[in-house]
Amino acid sequence: MLAEIPALPLHTAGKYVAAAYVVLFAIVLIYVAIMALRLRHVERDLAELVQMSERTEQADEPAAREMTLT
Amino acid sequence: MTPSASRADRGGADQIPGQARKTALHAQGRHDRPAPNPYVRGLRPLSLATALAMTLALGMVFFYAPLEAEQGFLQKIFYVHVPLAIVALCGFVLGGLLAIVYLRTRDPRWDMRSYVAIHISLIFAVGTLITGSIWAKGSWGHWWVWSEPTLVSFLIIFLLYATYQPLRFAIEDPERQARYAAVFAITAGAFVPMNYVAVNLSTAYVHPRVFSSTSNLPGSMALTLLVSVVAMALLFTTLCKYELTAKHTRFQLRALRRRLLEEPA
Repeated sequence: MLAEIPALPLHTAGKYVAAAYVVLFAIVLIYVAIMALRLRHVERDLAELVQMSERTEQADEPAAREMTLT
Repeated sequence: MTPSASRADRGGADQIPGQARKTALHAQGRHDRPAPNPYVRGLRPLSLATALAMTLALGMVFFYAPLEAEQGFLQKIFYVHVPLAIVALCGFVLGGLLAIVYLRTRDPRWDMRSYVAIHISLIFAVGTLITGSIWAKGSWGHWWVWSEPTLVSFLIIFLLYATYQPLRFAIEDPERQARYAAVFAITAGAFVPMNYVAVNLSTAYVHPRVFSSTSNLPGSMALTLLVSVVAMALLFTTLCKYELTAKHTRFQLRALRRRLLEEPA
């Protein structure tokens, strides 16, 4: 069947080839963007956890000092 | 109560919060080294190898591989469409194989690997369908040809796997979810090669592809296709590793949050 179809001239075929390769790069780019978004969430969660941990540490300190005095 | 006795009484309760705090600081990189994420190992060289392989493949496609006599420049889509399809189909089969390991070991890590392999393969399958449609439009003048068994069979496989995630997340119990997903992955994974054979055996239609098989490709074209397939396989592996790393980190964070919340302030 393809033997009957003449080759497309470069200016016509070029846009199809470009579109196909753009699709591949768009997929990778979208994936990287999603990963970056997830990383931002992870960083936010991590900062929250560190804050929580520091609050607990501060709350523990006076109690420990009190115990040492008694 | 003496301070020592008081400390001894509190010892058991202090153990968990202390560890949780330490882990949080570990994750922040302030104290000792954090517990290593098993999926991070080799990620940087793999990413570099993928970038190099993709660049090499693109260079070969446009500067090394000759123009095909019948389709001319349009045939360059072959080097992105075919590797995407091969890697997507192999990824589906891999998902099934990993699901078998999960059912044998009942280790949830294998279930996660199977899920990620299918998830990334599904993305590659979307790429295959889009690039295939673009190629069809360029060579046949139509975006889709329903009478073409290769296209329709690939669409059937894609639609079959499109139901994987809804099925998986419709089940709340994690153990049951993993078991059902594994059974699905194995059944669908077995369907992929069977489908391929069935399409090849269907002689009623002839797939209007550039070459009837890759064995009659000229040397330079075959080499370019091989490099493109390797580059795509590396891309698949890298994306899988990134996904697994992200998932593992999220699980660790969730566990850490649970431990910190259990701790009395």
